[in-house]
Amino acid sequence: MLRLLLALAAGAPLVARACEPPAGFSMRADSERYAVFFRADPRVISVGNYFSVEAVACAKAGGTAPEGLKVDAQMPAHRHGMNSRATVERAAPGRFLARGLMFHMPGTWQIVFDVQRAGETERATRDLAIK
Amino acid sequence: MSQMSRWIAAAMVLAAVAPAAADEAVRFDENETAMILRHGPWPQPPVRDPSNRVSGNPAAIALGRALFFERRLSPGGVVSCAHCHAASRSWTDARAQAAGIGELVRNTPSLWNVGRNRWFGWDGGSDSLWSFAIRPILHPAEMGADAGHVALSLRADRQLACLYEGAFGLPGNRSPANDERVLVNAAKALAAYVETFVSGRTPFDDFRDALERGDAASAARYPLEAQRGLKIFAGRGNCAMCHFGPNFSNGEFHDTGIPFFVKGGVDPGRHAGIQRLGADRFNLLGNYNDDRSGDSATKTRHVDAQHRNFGEFKTPSLRNVELSAPYMHNGRFATLREVVLHYSEIRADRLHSDGEALLKPLKLSPREADDLVAFLRSLTDPQAEQTALALSGIPNRCAGSTSR
Ligand code: HEC
Ligand code: HEC
Repeated sequence: MLRLLLALAAGAPLVARACEPPAGFSMRADSERYAVFFRADPRVISVGNYFSVEAVACAKAGGTAPEGLKVDAQMPAHRHGMNSRATVERAAPGRFLARGLMFHMPGTWQIVFDVQRAGETERATRDLAIK
Repeated sequence: MSQMSRWIAAAMVLAAVAPAAADEAVRFDENETAMILRHGPWPQPPVRDPSNRVSGNPAAIALGRALFFERRLSPGGVVSCAHCHAASRSWTDARAQAAGIGELVRNTPSLWNVGRNRWFGWDGGSDSLWSFAIRPILHPAEMGADAGHVALSLRADRQLACLYEGAFGLPGNRSPANDERVLVNAAKALAAYVETFVSGRTPFDDFRDALERGDAASAARYPLEAQRGLKIFAGRGNCAMCHFGPNFSNGEFHDTGIPFFVKGGVDPGRHAGIQRLGADRFNLLGNYNDDRSGDSATKTRHVDAQHRNFGEFKTPSLRNVELSAPYMHNGRFATLREVVLHYSEIRADRLHSDGEALLKPLKLSPREADDLVAFLRSLTDPQAEQTALALSGIPNRCAGSTSR
């Protein structure tokens, strides 16, 4: 028991370092194995204005960062997505910049991250209330 | 039930019935109020188009004004922009479908506040006001000109040549490349002029501002039927989702169940608009975009062609909508009441398969339909006609030096 606790305590910082929100990244989306921390530029997303998204994706259990990320969004209640297609650029391992997103209606939008690693894709989503 | 609770129950029933029954003040809930406030303030700061270096430039606006009314821009000398966009008719032609040299299949939209658009044309086939302005000049059924004809007209007439020089300098020797530059400059001057078509405040704007200030006395001046119509517009009608923002348009494309059959085929709407945009040499990805930062081309770079675009058309602004009948991309409806009844009875099966869940038959009562029409009429600027006439007055004679 004591050994387990010690192991956990020793392990914890490692895991946290692997997957901790970088400073200034206020939003988070989760899939089973990954966390995506993200922020928008401009910071406040408003109807009808194009924005980009800076995202940091990491494996919650630690380990190498995801190689790829796709970013999209939809309005589940209205059954439609965006009218623009985001392009994603990898800025550093696990760090991505998506450009060209735009929400054309007020309401609940779901931002969708497809996290890619080792030929597998996992989806992390997050609901955003857009006014 | 105690006497007291019976009384409370009766009062609640009354409260629930009252707004629909009597001519009583309309209550807007938190969501409706927030939505209403997003439709202002008005006017908004003037538009400046970074892709057009003469946007807002008085000399270019003067040239644009002269060109807008210039019939000689079309080779037969008959059709000017104003032929279809008449100042006395809220910048339209009052026809269901436009006619220039030939017949078109679409309705002439009003040009009020058009500078606020993201895309131009019912299908958004252009990404700037100036690149759109090239289209009617060259279109064989509209003005039927070419770059050479436009460049020649601008050189041949002393007044036009003088105005051109004031805005852009001398046009240079005649060559295909120079003629094209003159055509683009003429279109940019037209755009600078058309950007000044800004409508004024309306009864709705006064109400909106009163609501924001919490000024019940001023708010009460807005007719009750318009208030009830506004409640449908911002609430259960979902109208404000698409007709969103100070200009009452989200600037994007939707299928509202208007049949798109035309003589000999269909009008594919946004689907063809995206193709046209991509093929347009004058789009914002091209050399004539004056915005060196590249930001203005973001929309064009990221536009996404999708299956559902087939039969989608641009959400029109509703400011001054009362003045620009008939309605819809093909002029299908003669009155605002017909438009409202269309939304009331909309057939879900007429919409595209992945049609949006926003449009369902509203099943409006006759009074609710009247209310919605009353609301739409409250978007009319009472000074609109005067403003349009002032904007179309004859410009001063050009006093610049013509060094030819
Ligand atoms: C023959 C009639 C006709 C003439 C002439 C004409 N237009 Fe138009 N205008 C239309 C029609 C019809 C549309 C809608 C076109 C479409 O969706 O394909 C339109 C659309 C527009 C739009 C886009 C409005 C919007 O909300 O997207 C602008 C801007 C415009 N015209 C400006 C001009 C200018 C400037 C000229 C002169 C160079 C001109 N028009 C000449 C009929 C005309
Ligand atoms: C899903 C988005 C959407 C919703 C919701 C919507 N509209 Fe529209 N509206 C449009 C589009 C797109 C057009 C043009 C359609 C066409 O021409 O094919 C239009 C056209 C109109 C017009 C004609 C304007 C003109 O100049 O021709 C009026 C008026 C109008 N809508 C009012 C309303 C009202 C009132 C409601 C609510 C009952 C409503 N709209 C709901 C998208 C929408």
